[in-house]
Amino acid sequence: MSDLDRAIEQLRACRLIPESQVRELCYKARELLIEEGNVVSVDAPVTICGDIHGQFHDLMELFRVGGDVPDTNYLFMGDFVDRGFYSLESFLLLLCLKVRYPDRITLIRGNHESRQITTVYGFYDECIRKYGSANVWRYCCEVFDYLALGAIVLGASSGLEPTTSYANETTQSSLPIDDGELETEVLNSQGEVTFSTYRQRQRTSSDTSTDSRAISPPRDISAAPGQATPSRTGAPGTGASGDGNGSATTSRTGAVLCVHGGLSPLIDSVDKIRLIDRKQEVPHEGAMCDLLWSDPDEIEGWGLSPRGAGFLFGSDIVKQFNHLNGLSLVARAHQLVMEGYKEMFDGGIVTVWSAPNYCYRCGNVAAILELGEDASNGGCVARSNGEYGRSNGVTDANTVISPGRRYRVFEAAAQDTRGMPAKKPVADYFL
Amino acid sequence: MALDLQPPDGRKRVKVYELRNNDWFDRGTGFCTGTIMGVSFHFLVPACAASVATATTRARAVSSVFLFPPPLGIGNPSLTRATLITGGTANICRIGRPTAARSARDQDHQGRWLSKTARFLSHHFRLTVAPKREYGLTDLYHAIRDLDCLDGTEWHGYGAEFSRGGGMRGDMVRPLPIARDFVNTVQQHLLSIAAADDALSDDLDSYQSIVLPSPDLGNLPEIEQIVRAASMTQNGRDALSKFLIRDDYINRLVPLVSTAEDLESLTDLHRLCNIMKSLILLNDNAIIEMVVSDHIILGVVGALEYDPEFPTHKANHRQYLADQTRYKEVVPIKDNQIRRKIRSTWRLQYLKDVVLARILDDPTFSVLNSLIFFNQMEIVNHIQSNALFLRELFSVFDPRNTDGKRKDDAVQFLHQCAGIAKNLQAPSRAQLFGNFISHGLFAVIAFAVKHPNPAMRTTGIDILVALLDHDPVMMRGYMLKAVNEKKTPLTDTLIDLLHAETDLGVKNQLADAIKILLDPQIPLQDPLARAGPDFFKVRSSNLLSDAFVQQHFDESSKRLFQPLKQLANRASLNDLTFQEVTLYSHLVDILTFFVRQHLFRTRNAIHSEQLAPRVAQLLTAPQKPVKLVALKFFRTLISLQDTFYQALMTHNNTFGLILDIVLETMPRDNLLNSACLELFEFIKRENIKPFIVHVVEKYREKLERITYVDTFQNLTLRYDQMQGYGAEAESTLFSQDEDDTPRQMPLNGQRWQGVKEMDATEEEYFAGSDDEDEWQQENRAALAAGTVYGTASPLVKPLVDYPDDDDEDAMDIKPEDNPEQAAEDQPLNVAEVQCEDASEAAGMPASLTHNLPVPERLAEKRRREEEDEDELVKLATGPKRRSSTSSNSSAGSIHRKKAVSIGSVVSAEKGTMLGANVAPKRIAINLGPAVKPSVPDDPSCEDTPSSNSEKENHRDDSQGEG
Repeated sequence: MSDLDRAIEQLRACRLIPESQVRELCYKARELLIEEGNVVSVDAPVTICGDIHGQFHDLMELFRVGGDVPDTNYLFMGDFVDRGFYSLESFLLLLCLKVRYPDRITLIRGNHESRQITTVYGFYDECIRKYGSANVWRYCCEVFDYLALGAIVLGASSGLEPTTSYANETTQSSLPIDDGELETEVLNSQGEVTFSTYRQRQRTSSDTSTDSRAISPPRDISAAPGQATPSRTGAPGTGASGDGNGSATTSRTGAVLCVHGGLSPLIDSVDKIRLIDRKQEVPHEGAMCDLLWSDPDEIEGWGLSPRGAGFLFGSDIVKQFNHLNGLSLVARAHQLVMEGYKEMFDGGIVTVWSAPNYCYRCGNVAAILELGEDASNGGCVARSNGEYGRSNGVTDANTVISPGRRYRVFEAAAQDTRGMPAKKPVADYFL
Repeated sequence: MALDLQPPDGRKRVKVYELRNNDWFDRGTGFCTGTIMGVSFHFLVPACAASVATATTRARAVSSVFLFPPPLGIGNPSLTRATLITGGTANICRIGRPTAARSARDQDHQGRWLSKTARFLSHHFRLTVAPKREYGLTDLYHAIRDLDCLDGTEWHGYGAEFSRGGGMRGDMVRPLPIARDFVNTVQQHLLSIAAADDALSDDLDSYQSIVLPSPDLGNLPEIEQIVRAASMTQNGRDALSKFLIRDDYINRLVPLVSTAEDLESLTDLHRLCNIMKSLILLNDNAIIEMVVSDHIILGVVGALEYDPEFPTHKANHRQYLADQTRYKEVVPIKDNQIRRKIRSTWRLQYLKDVVLARILDDPTFSVLNSLIFFNQMEIVNHIQSNALFLRELFSVFDPRNTDGKRKDDAVQFLHQCAGIAKNLQAPSRAQLFGNFISHGLFAVIAFAVKHPNPAMRTTGIDILVALLDHDPVMMRGYMLKAVNEKKTPLTDTLIDLLHAETDLGVKNQLADAIKILLDPQIPLQDPLARAGPDFFKVRSSNLLSDAFVQQHFDESSKRLFQPLKQLANRASLNDLTFQEVTLYSHLVDILTFFVRQHLFRTRNAIHSEQLAPRVAQLLTAPQKPVKLVALKFFRTLISLQDTFYQALMTHNNTFGLILDIVLETMPRDNLLNSACLELFEFIKRENIKPFIVHVVEKYREKLERITYVDTFQNLTLRYDQMQGYGAEAESTLFSQDEDDTPRQMPLNGQRWQGVKEMDATEEEYFAGSDDEDEWQQENRAALAAGTVYGTASPLVKPLVDYPDDDDEDAMDIKPEDNPEQAAEDQPLNVAEVQCEDASEAAGMPASLTHNLPVPERLAEKRRREEEDEDELVKLATGPKRRSSTSSNSSAGSIHRKKAVSIGSVVSAEKGTMLGANVAPKRIAINLGPAVKPSVPDDPSCEDTPSSNSEKENHRDDSQGEG
């Protein structure tokens, strides 16, 4: 174990570990991952992260903002490699952490975790450059084949514990905090609340109130909860109507499905994902491809994806899928969003993007999504241990409440923490 | 200077363009004159183009283009303005210092004119004028200066002059080169007179010429400031570059580094570093070439060692670059110029990868890359055209030579050549490799892969992989040639190594190389892309000796899969070592690849070596990755829908073993479990009847124990339904298959499974031609149109429809007929398989005793046979497409059009293949009746021989047509 801890220390310092250690690490990781289902069950609390793309120093910033690994549970939704200069360091660090703390960190596969894509977008070249041969790339690709395709977060609480920060206290006096449950909250990297929405327990028409200090919500976040109201408050019998007894509500918080890309026309239930033989190169079509490549879009039904793989899917698809599977939210990555996160379709799906200043030039901020733990039932979560028919156990989907969502937004790590460039020059040359 | 501007003669021919409605029109050629008017210097083009005879000579008809050297009034700042003439109403735009009088409208107009002109220039003469928000005058000037160098363009930067009144005034014409000098001089002069206050102010950018103070430690702040300011604009950069080259400034700057170091003046060193960075990022070829020259490089990187962004660090670039021992020569290169090129290429790479890695911008990066590329091309060309050199190089590997170090170096030298060759264009790469091979490259590879040092082995295989990437067909040709000449082919060496190799990385590479080298299918790729010297020779020998290829493949397979075969002697797999696990994984993986690539050719190997039972054996290994690989093998067999392989599956208790895995992993949701479920889901979805019948009949009891998913109940259900409808059920199932297949193929993501290596064709697929895209789009559109796929599970569609005319017959058939009915689909199994399986059969739990078939009425049997044949015609659409796409896709997705040609080759090969296959079938036929009573369950015995072999032929043919 101490070897592994040493490797983690070394990688945290952005220094590579020797090839033999990589081989061993990948072997261990494979043993772990082979036991994971195609859809991993994860308990809240968990912090969901989007694309990293080899931006090692920003990954360190992510850990700084979100908390360090054994202390915070993480779920990374793929695309660890390519584009950035430190794909190897980033991926190997995440893999080390996975092997070291298997229950604390979940890695799922992104469309860049593929042989074909990595040969084009930089990871392959980086391996050749940093290790002198393609061996490490092969080991890593082997691990990619074993990565899970998705994760389902269970037991997230519907409300957030309000963050007490200086900025918060001064500006929220007028808000009906007593009546509402904190539903979403956006924090900057200093931990100051910059924006929040509330979900009201009463059956009033104006269901949510929006922080007046909102910094240009990245989507129609102010409108969305309002629109979503009918279905939520429309289930008063579920305990949502009960005065004050807020904890009862939380027990019906729907599960959150996390995939890299999105939904597939071939997958109408989460259980269908389990029927995929995932140990293969990402195919060019089919369910597995779609999960890693699709994008939500403002359309009806399914559409052709401009990416040439996967599909576009509209709000009706998401609604239906969430309803059928007792989900409250689909969390995915795969698309650059300038604000770091973007909720769409009445909060039915969210894009989380965790590579700030993408490609070192896009100027975007990044975000991670925290889902809190529902303590109301003594931490017991109704679920089926990853067995089939899990979705059957969920009560009427109408009652599903979306989980409280806390977004932590952060910017690219400062330049001076980047360290000196570390490309290894050729030792000897003939030509 | 003023004298220079006097017109050498009166009129000059010019090309005239008119700007009208935002478009430039060619007005032919004409004559222009120029003049100097008072404080302004004007170049104008009159509309006296001969070809535009009707054009009025009035000013409004004139459009003009150009130029503008700044005015003559040197020494008088108020005269620093140039004039541009535009068309239309003879607007005169003045470019120069903004004066109070200059209105916003004027500026706007001028800006538009400039940007239009710039666009015009770039469009017509493919000149790039730096894209900037505002086009400066100098940009235009440079654009036109460059034009001057273009051949065949009758464009000379002549100007003439119009007065405001529109009359032609001037007589002055200047050919451009002189104008350029003029501009230079004027700019410099202007700068010198105006440097103090506004040399760097915006409006003077256009005239900026830069003079740096003499290189001296005291001047560094000023130099840094000027350089930085100049780098802000394209004009400034150009001017600065010119100055640097002309004055050999960098050379004079470099000694300051050591001076500053002696003085330990960190501030100065930081300044020098900043200056050097800026100079390199000027992105000028000449400057970069100068920087890497012998006498300057160390000074430059010396300065770059002191990066002010990392004040506490000091890099040691000089130490690295000064180390002469890094350059190794296996065989001395005598050409001095090439030696210099090698050195500077190395330095460029170091600059790119190390020194500048963090600060490099895209343009500079591409300049560095292209410099490196052209150098490398020259170097490689020099080497390969130097026969003497090559001979000496390869003689290093002479067995009599005992200098191991030198051999290692030579391998690495060749490795570097191969690496560089990857970037070359296909023909020159082919030439280089052809040259190397004829000098004995294969012997070098054989030497390297047997090297005790794993790093050297990797290097050797890397060379091989480079060759394979370049042209696998050519490589296979060489292998076959070696076999033909009774030499040991490289493949044998590689196979032996694979068996013995302990380094996992090397093993991995070996497996990949063998896979490509032995790939039994001959991919037909664009021959033009690989027209090497030996191309036609090799290709033709390949085509002529199909039987020979088969023989070679069989022999190599035998050798390759030997360890797998020896598994038979192993009672338990619980003591597999780590090395064995990897080896078996690779072997099964290769075997899977072969089966998918060419199901016919691989039959022999699988059959004669009895590999399938061995792979089945691996399903019981405790190591899950091995189980997975074995599972993938059988999953591939299933998807082939080939009778021979189906027979393999229904023997050896394969499904029993797979079901055991399901049972073992049952309630858990993990990779192995999902893979098994997927396999059965596939059988259910594709409705592969022989398997459904086999699995349910034989393992019903096991299936019933698995209840946590509905897959297995559904299989049983489907089987029961089949029982009820006999032959008709079968036929309708098939006809349903027919319309199912096109829809389901794109849905079936498994088509791609296991394609692991990125090869050229796959890349090609990714690049995607338009045709391909369209095809995909259509497919996708079709898919997207029917959005119900998510719910369209095979269960929803009716299993059976009830054809009226056959009702009676359907009733006649007794349920007991069905097992044999099903068996008709199965291959006649070759006799050897049966015998060999006899031992296995003893171990099979269920089913040998029950379901004894009742003999059929002869007439009915005949009728069914006919029906089968009809069905086969229908089948032609289904399986044909399936097999062609699957072989196609597994080959790494050659374009669809090409799939057709491949298909035809397959059918051509069939000619020889069939001959080989027919004979054993006949034997099976003869055996059939004899064995029948004792082994009623055996499909081959049950079958009507003639229909069966015909059926198989049909299928094979139909596959060929795909």
